[in-house]
Amino acid sequence: MIQTIKLVYSNFKYVVLASTIFVPMMIGLLILSEYIFLEPYVVAHLPPGSELGFVLIVIISALSALVIPMNIFRIKILKSSKQKMGGGIFGSIIGAAAGACSCGPIGFAVISTFGSVGAAATAFLTNYEIPLRIIAIAILAVTYFTTMKSLKVECNLNH
Amino acid sequence: MNKKGVIVGVIVVAIIAGITASYSSSQTETVNLDMGRTHGTISTAMGSPILGDPSAPITIVEFGDYQCEQCYAWFHETKPAIVRDYIDTGKVNLVFVDLAFLGKDSIPASMATYCAEDQEMYWEYHDLLYNSQESIDGGWANSERLKAFAYSLGLDFELFESCLDSEKYSKRVQYNIQQAKDNGIRGTPGFFIVGPDGQQKIGGAQPFSVFKNVLDSMI
Repeated sequence: MIQTIKLVYSNFKYVVLASTIFVPMMIGLLILSEYIFLEPYVVAHLPPGSELGFVLIVIISALSALVIPMNIFRIKILKSSKQKMGGGIFGSIIGAAAGACSCGPIGFAVISTFGSVGAAATAFLTNYEIPLRIIAIAILAVTYFTTMKSLKVECNLNH
Repeated sequence: MNKKGVIVGVIVVAIIAGITASYSSSQTETVNLDMGRTHGTISTAMGSPILGDPSAPITIVEFGDYQCEQCYAWFHETKPAIVRDYIDTGKVNLVFVDLAFLGKDSIPASMATYCAEDQEMYWEYHDLLYNSQESIDGGWANSERLKAFAYSLGLDFELFESCLDSEKYSKRVQYNIQQAKDNGIRGTPGFFIVGPDGQQKIGGAQPFSVFKNVLDSMI
Protein backbone atom coordinates (compact mmCIF):
# COMPACT_ATOMS: atom_id res chain seq x y z
CA MET A 1 0.00 0.00 0.00
CA ILE A 2 2.77 2.40 1.02
CA GLN A 3 4.78 1.36 -2.01
CA THR A 4 1.90 2.25 -4.30
CA ILE A 5 1.53 5.68 -2.68
CA LYS A 6 5.31 6.17 -2.96
CA LEU A 7 5.15 5.22 -6.62
CA VAL A 8 2.61 7.95 -7.37
CA TYR A 9 3.89 10.67 -5.09
CA SER A 10 7.59 10.19 -5.83
CA ASN A 11 6.74 12.38 -8.79
CA PHE A 12 6.68 15.88 -7.32
CA LYS A 13 4.01 16.98 -9.82
CA TYR A 14 1.48 14.75 -8.04
CA VAL A 15 2.39 16.17 -4.64
CA VAL A 16 1.73 19.65 -6.03
CA LEU A 17 -1.54 18.44 -7.57
CA ALA A 18 -2.64 16.89 -4.24
CA SER A 19 -1.85 20.13 -2.40
CA THR A 20 -3.67 22.14 -5.05
CA ILE A 21 -6.76 20.02 -4.47
CA PHE A 22 -6.55 19.78 -0.67
CA VAL A 23 -5.89 23.37 0.39
CA PRO A 24 -8.46 25.22 -1.78
CA MET A 25 -11.07 22.51 -1.26
CA MET A 26 -10.73 22.52 2.51
CA ILE A 27 -10.60 26.30 2.84
CA GLY A 28 -13.50 26.70 0.38
CA LEU A 29 -15.68 24.21 2.26
CA LEU A 30 -14.77 25.75 5.63
CA ILE A 31 -15.80 29.17 4.29
CA LEU A 32 -19.06 27.84 2.81
CA SER A 33 -19.89 26.00 6.02
CA GLU A 34 -19.10 29.14 8.05
CA TYR A 35 -16.09 27.86 9.97
CA ILE A 36 -14.03 30.66 8.42
CA PHE A 37 -15.24 34.22 7.81
CA LEU A 38 -13.41 36.71 5.63
CA GLU A 39 -15.33 39.91 6.38
CA PRO A 40 -15.13 42.27 8.19
CA TYR A 41 -12.15 40.38 9.71
CA VAL A 42 -10.61 37.01 8.91
CA VAL A 43 -11.89 34.79 11.71
CA ALA A 44 -11.90 31.03 12.24
CA HIS A 45 -14.76 29.82 14.41
CA LEU A 46 -15.64 26.31 15.57
CA PRO A 47 -18.97 26.51 17.40
CA PRO A 48 -19.68 23.84 20.02
CA GLY A 49 -21.46 20.86 18.49
CA SER A 50 -20.08 21.41 15.00
CA GLU A 51 -16.81 19.53 15.51
CA LEU A 52 -18.02 16.47 13.56
CA GLY A 53 -18.89 18.61 10.52
CA PHE A 54 -15.40 20.15 10.65
CA VAL A 55 -13.65 16.77 10.88
CA LEU A 56 -15.71 15.39 7.97
CA ILE A 57 -14.72 18.36 5.78
CA VAL A 58 -11.04 17.75 6.54
CA ILE A 59 -11.38 14.01 5.77
CA ILE A 60 -13.23 14.65 2.46
CA SER A 61 -10.61 17.18 1.37
CA ALA A 62 -7.74 14.84 2.32
CA LEU A 63 -9.28 11.80 0.58
CA SER A 64 -10.07 13.84 -2.54
CA ALA A 65 -6.49 15.10 -2.62
CA LEU A 66 -5.24 11.52 -2.26
CA VAL A 67 -7.58 9.74 -4.69
CA ILE A 68 -7.83 12.17 -7.61
CA PRO A 69 -4.05 12.44 -8.30
CA MET A 70 -3.72 8.64 -8.03
CA ASN A 71 -6.39 8.22 -10.70
CA ILE A 72 -4.77 10.84 -12.92
CA PHE A 73 -1.50 8.90 -12.53
CA ARG A 74 -3.28 5.72 -13.62
CA ILE A 75 -4.76 7.40 -16.67
CA LYS A 76 -1.65 9.33 -17.73
CA ILE A 77 1.19 6.96 -16.93
CA LEU A 78 -0.47 3.60 -17.27
CA LYS A 79 -2.97 4.66 -19.98
CA SER A 80 -5.80 3.07 -18.02
CA SER A 81 -9.52 3.73 -18.46
CA LYS A 82 -11.12 6.79 -16.87
CA GLN A 83 -13.79 4.70 -15.16
CA LYS A 84 -12.47 4.83 -11.59
CA MET A 85 -11.75 8.55 -11.80
CA GLY A 86 -15.55 9.12 -11.73
CA GLY A 87 -15.85 7.70 -8.20
CA GLY A 88 -13.31 10.16 -6.80
CA ILE A 89 -14.90 13.16 -8.46
CA PHE A 90 -18.43 12.02 -7.60
CA GLY A 91 -17.48 11.54 -3.94
CA SER A 92 -15.82 14.94 -3.84
CA ILE A 93 -18.85 16.64 -5.36
CA ILE A 94 -21.29 15.00 -2.91
CA GLY A 95 -19.04 15.93 -0.01
CA ALA A 96 -18.73 19.50 -1.21
CA ALA A 97 -22.43 19.98 -1.97
CA ALA A 98 -23.68 18.62 1.37
CA GLY A 99 -24.24 21.51 3.69
CA ALA A 100 -22.61 24.02 1.37
CA CYS A 101 -26.04 25.16 0.18
CA SER A 102 -27.63 25.72 3.60
CA CYS A 103 -28.72 29.32 4.34
CA GLY A 104 -25.66 31.01 2.87
CA PRO A 105 -25.15 32.73 -0.49
CA ILE A 106 -25.12 29.47 -2.49
CA GLY A 107 -28.43 28.31 -1.04
CA PHE A 108 -29.89 31.76 -1.59
CA ALA A 109 -28.74 31.78 -5.23
CA VAL A 110 -30.03 28.23 -5.86
CA ILE A 111 -33.45 29.01 -4.35
CA SER A 112 -33.70 32.38 -6.12
CA THR A 113 -32.88 30.73 -9.46
CA PHE A 114 -34.76 27.43 -9.24
CA GLY A 115 -37.65 28.33 -6.92
CA SER A 116 -39.37 25.50 -5.08
CA VAL A 117 -37.22 22.81 -6.76
CA GLY A 118 -34.11 24.64 -5.59
CA ALA A 119 -35.61 25.00 -2.12
CA ALA A 120 -36.34 21.26 -1.95
CA ALA A 121 -32.79 20.42 -3.08
CA THR A 122 -31.27 22.87 -0.60
CA ALA A 123 -33.43 21.53 2.23
CA PHE A 124 -32.33 17.96 1.40
CA LEU A 125 -28.64 18.86 1.27
CA THR A 126 -28.91 20.80 4.55
CA ASN A 127 -31.05 18.32 6.49
CA TYR A 128 -28.85 15.36 5.51
CA GLU A 129 -25.50 17.17 5.59
CA ILE A 130 -23.73 14.75 7.93
CA PRO A 131 -25.03 11.48 6.36
CA LEU A 132 -24.20 12.81 2.88
CA ARG A 133 -20.66 13.67 3.93
CA ILE A 134 -20.25 10.21 5.42
CA ILE A 135 -21.51 8.67 2.15
CA ALA A 136 -19.03 10.85 0.24
CA ILE A 137 -16.20 9.60 2.48
CA ALA A 138 -17.33 6.01 1.89
CA ILE A 139 -17.32 6.55 -1.91
CA LEU A 140 -13.87 8.13 -1.75
CA ALA A 141 -12.58 5.32 0.47
CA VAL A 142 -13.89 2.64 -1.91
CA THR A 143 -12.38 4.52 -4.86
CA TYR A 144 -9.07 4.71 -2.98
CA PHE A 145 -8.90 1.00 -2.30
CA THR A 146 -9.97 -0.04 -5.81
CA THR A 147 -7.42 2.38 -7.29
CA MET A 148 -4.69 0.95 -5.06
CA LYS A 149 -5.64 -2.56 -6.09
CA SER A 150 -5.64 -1.77 -9.77
CA LEU A 151 -2.36 0.18 -9.52
CA LYS A 152 -0.73 -2.85 -7.90
CA VAL A 153 -1.99 -5.17 -10.63
CA GLU A 154 -1.26 -2.81 -13.50
CA CYS A 155 2.21 -1.95 -12.24
CA ASN A 156 3.09 -5.62 -11.82
CA LEU A 157 1.91 -6.26 -15.37
CA ASN A 158 3.87 -3.33 -16.74
CA HIS A 159 7.15 -4.04 -14.97
CA MET B 1 -44.86 54.02 65.35
CA ASN B 2 -42.34 51.37 64.41
CA LYS B 3 -45.07 49.25 62.80
CA LYS B 4 -46.29 52.29 60.85
CA GLY B 5 -42.75 52.98 59.73
CA VAL B 6 -42.36 49.42 58.46
CA ILE B 7 -45.66 49.61 56.53
CA VAL B 8 -44.70 52.97 54.98
CA GLY B 9 -41.28 51.53 54.13
CA VAL B 10 -42.83 48.49 52.43
CA ILE B 11 -45.20 50.74 50.44
CA VAL B 12 -42.31 52.98 49.32
CA VAL B 13 -40.21 49.98 48.29
CA ALA B 14 -43.20 48.52 46.37
CA ILE B 15 -43.75 51.84 44.54
CA ILE B 16 -40.04 52.10 43.63
CA ALA B 17 -40.04 48.47 42.43
CA GLY B 18 -43.16 49.14 40.35
CA ILE B 19 -41.64 52.24 38.74
CA THR B 20 -38.38 50.37 38.05
CA ALA B 21 -40.26 47.44 36.53
CA SER B 22 -42.37 49.66 34.29
CA TYR B 23 -39.28 51.63 33.27
CA SER B 24 -37.29 48.52 32.37
CA SER B 25 -40.18 46.97 30.44
CA SER B 26 -40.52 50.16 28.42
CA GLN B 27 -36.89 49.66 27.34
CA THR B 28 -38.09 47.18 24.74
CA GLU B 29 -40.90 47.91 22.33
CA THR B 30 -43.72 45.41 22.39
CA VAL B 31 -45.24 46.61 19.12
CA ASN B 32 -43.67 48.34 16.13
CA LEU B 33 -45.81 51.40 15.59
CA ASP B 34 -43.33 53.48 13.59
CA MET B 35 -44.27 52.93 9.97
CA GLY B 36 -41.60 55.32 8.73
CA ARG B 37 -38.75 53.71 10.64
CA THR B 38 -35.37 53.43 8.93
CA HIS B 39 -31.92 52.37 10.12
CA GLY B 40 -29.15 53.46 7.77
CA THR B 41 -30.12 52.39 4.28
CA ILE B 42 -32.66 49.86 5.55
CA SER B 43 -36.35 50.46 5.98
CA THR B 44 -37.22 48.57 9.15
CA ALA B 45 -40.77 49.94 9.12
CA MET B 46 -42.20 46.43 8.63
CA GLY B 47 -39.65 44.69 10.82
CA SER B 48 -39.86 43.60 14.42
CA PRO B 49 -40.36 45.83 17.43
CA ILE B 50 -37.07 47.17 18.81
CA LEU B 51 -35.31 44.93 21.32
CA GLY B 52 -33.61 47.18 23.86
CA ASP B 53 -33.60 50.91 24.34
CA PRO B 54 -35.13 52.54 21.23
CA SER B 55 -32.90 55.57 21.78
CA ALA B 56 -29.66 53.55 21.84
CA PRO B 57 -27.05 55.05 19.47
CA ILE B 58 -26.35 51.80 17.63
CA THR B 59 -28.80 49.39 16.04
CA ILE B 60 -28.15 45.83 14.93
CA VAL B 61 -30.45 44.92 12.04
CA GLU B 62 -30.63 41.14 11.79
CA PHE B 63 -31.95 39.48 8.63
CA GLY B 64 -33.00 35.93 9.40
CA ASP B 65 -35.09 32.89 8.59
CA TYR B 66 -36.65 30.84 11.38
CA GLN B 67 -35.68 27.61 9.59
CA CYS B 68 -32.03 28.56 9.10
CA GLU B 69 -29.68 26.50 11.25
CA GLN B 70 -26.98 29.18 11.17
CA CYS B 71 -29.53 31.67 12.55
CA TYR B 72 -30.25 29.13 15.27
CA ALA B 73 -26.52 28.92 16.00
CA TRP B 74 -26.20 32.71 16.19
CA PHE B 75 -29.29 32.97 18.38
CA HIS B 76 -27.83 30.52 20.89
CA GLU B 77 -24.12 31.28 20.77
CA THR B 78 -23.61 34.95 19.96
CA LYS B 79 -26.85 36.80 20.71
CA PRO B 80 -26.91 36.12 24.48
CA ALA B 81 -23.55 37.86 24.95
CA ILE B 82 -24.66 40.81 22.79
CA VAL B 83 -27.87 41.13 24.82
CA ARG B 84 -25.93 40.96 28.11
CA ASP B 85 -23.11 43.36 27.21
CA TYR B 86 -24.72 45.80 24.80
CA ILE B 87 -28.53 45.62 24.69
CA ASP B 88 -29.28 45.32 28.40
CA THR B 89 -26.79 48.12 29.07
CA GLY B 90 -28.59 50.48 26.67
CA LYS B 91 -25.67 50.85 24.24
CA VAL B 92 -27.29 48.96 21.38
CA ASN B 93 -30.73 47.86 20.23
CA LEU B 94 -31.76 45.19 17.77
CA VAL B 95 -34.36 44.86 15.02
CA PHE B 96 -35.19 41.58 13.30
CA VAL B 97 -36.14 41.71 9.61
CA ASP B 98 -37.37 38.55 7.89
CA LEU B 99 -35.51 37.01 5.00
CA ALA B 100 -37.79 33.98 4.83
CA PHE B 101 -36.57 31.98 1.85
CA LEU B 102 -35.49 28.51 2.93
CA GLY B 103 -38.68 26.48 2.71
CA LYS B 104 -42.44 26.53 2.52
CA ASP B 105 -42.80 26.94 6.30
CA SER B 106 -40.45 29.93 6.50
CA ILE B 107 -42.95 32.62 5.47
CA PRO B 108 -45.81 31.35 7.69
CA ALA B 109 -43.36 31.28 10.64
CA SER B 110 -42.48 34.93 10.00
CA MET B 111 -46.14 35.87 9.64
CA ALA B 112 -46.91 34.11 12.92
CA THR B 113 -44.44 36.33 14.80
CA TYR B 114 -46.38 39.42 13.71
CA CYS B 115 -49.64 37.77 14.76
CA ALA B 116 -47.98 37.38 18.15
CA GLU B 117 -46.92 41.03 18.01
CA ASP B 118 -50.61 41.96 17.74
CA GLN B 119 -50.82 40.59 21.27
CA GLU B 120 -47.56 42.25 22.36
CA MET B 121 -45.67 38.95 22.42
CA TYR B 122 -43.38 39.29 19.39
CA TRP B 123 -40.07 38.59 21.12
CA GLU B 124 -41.46 35.75 23.22
CA TYR B 125 -42.77 34.06 20.05
CA HIS B 126 -39.54 34.81 18.14
CA ASP B 127 -37.48 33.20 20.90
CA LEU B 128 -39.80 30.21 21.08
CA LEU B 129 -39.39 29.58 17.35
CA TYR B 130 -35.60 29.64 17.58
CA ASN B 131 -35.71 27.37 20.62
CA SER B 132 -37.96 24.90 18.77
CA GLN B 133 -36.16 24.75 15.42
CA GLU B 134 -35.77 21.37 13.73
CA SER B 135 -35.04 20.40 10.12
CA ILE B 136 -36.14 22.57 7.16
CA ASP B 137 -39.82 21.91 6.34
CA GLY B 138 -39.76 19.00 8.76
CA GLY B 139 -43.18 19.97 10.12
CA TRP B 140 -41.99 21.79 13.24
CA ALA B 141 -43.20 25.15 11.81
CA ASN B 142 -46.34 24.03 10.01
CA SER B 143 -49.64 25.79 10.64
CA GLU B 144 -50.70 23.50 13.49
CA ARG B 145 -47.38 23.82 15.30
CA LEU B 146 -47.34 27.61 14.88
CA LYS B 147 -50.78 27.72 16.50
CA ALA B 148 -49.64 25.34 19.23
CA PHE B 149 -46.73 27.69 20.00
CA ALA B 150 -49.23 30.56 20.37
CA TYR B 151 -51.33 28.43 22.68
CA SER B 152 -48.32 27.54 24.80
CA LEU B 153 -47.49 31.23 25.22
CA GLY B 154 -51.03 31.91 26.41
CA LEU B 155 -52.00 34.10 23.45
CA ASP B 156 -55.65 34.68 22.55
CA PHE B 157 -55.91 31.59 20.38
CA GLU B 158 -58.85 32.60 18.19
CA LEU B 159 -57.32 35.98 17.46
CA PHE B 160 -53.99 34.37 16.58
CA GLU B 161 -55.60 31.68 14.46
CA SER B 162 -57.65 34.12 12.41
CA CYS B 163 -54.56 36.31 11.92
CA LEU B 164 -52.44 33.39 10.71
CA ASP B 165 -55.11 31.75 8.56
CA SER B 166 -55.99 35.05 6.86
CA GLU B 167 -52.28 35.66 6.05
CA LYS B 168 -52.71 39.13 7.46
CA TYR B 169 -48.98 39.82 7.44
CA SER B 170 -48.05 38.25 4.10
CA LYS B 171 -47.22 41.62 2.51
CA ARG B 172 -45.26 42.69 5.57
CA VAL B 173 -43.00 39.64 5.28
CA GLN B 174 -42.63 40.14 1.51
CA TYR B 175 -41.66 43.76 2.13
CA ASN B 176 -38.96 42.63 4.56
CA ILE B 177 -37.62 40.05 2.09
CA GLN B 178 -37.39 42.79 -0.52
CA GLN B 179 -35.54 45.05 1.95
CA ALA B 180 -32.98 42.29 2.47
CA LYS B 181 -32.47 41.90 -1.28
CA ASP B 182 -32.29 45.66 -1.86
CA ASN B 183 -29.56 45.91 0.76
CA GLY B 184 -27.45 43.13 -0.72
CA ILE B 185 -28.19 40.45 1.86
CA ARG B 186 -27.59 37.07 0.18
CA GLY B 187 -28.02 34.61 3.02
CA THR B 188 -29.01 34.28 6.61
CA PRO B 189 -28.21 35.41 9.16
CA GLY B 190 -27.05 38.74 7.76
CA PHE B 191 -26.47 41.86 9.80
CA PHE B 192 -26.05 45.58 9.49
CA ILE B 193 -24.57 47.40 12.46
CA VAL B 194 -25.90 50.92 12.08
CA GLY B 195 -24.13 53.61 14.10
CA PRO B 196 -24.08 57.40 14.12
CA ASP B 197 -21.27 57.49 11.55
CA GLY B 198 -22.33 54.80 9.15
CA GLN B 199 -23.10 51.11 8.87
CA GLN B 200 -21.11 47.89 8.75
CA LYS B 201 -22.31 44.68 7.12
CA ILE B 202 -21.60 41.30 8.76
CA GLY B 203 -22.50 38.11 6.92
CA GLY B 204 -23.16 34.79 8.64
CA ALA B 205 -23.31 33.50 12.19
CA GLN B 206 -20.07 35.14 13.22
CA PRO B 207 -18.71 34.86 16.77
CA PHE B 208 -19.21 37.45 19.50
CA SER B 209 -15.63 38.73 19.14
CA VAL B 210 -16.42 40.09 15.67
CA PHE B 211 -19.54 41.91 16.86
CA LYS B 212 -17.65 43.23 19.88
CA ASN B 213 -14.90 44.68 17.66
CA VAL B 214 -17.39 46.38 15.36
CA LEU B 215 -19.62 47.66 18.16
CA ASP B 216 -16.71 48.94 20.28
CA SER B 217 -15.33 50.81 17.27
CA MET B 218 -18.68 52.60 16.89
CA ILE B 219 -19.32 53.48 20.55
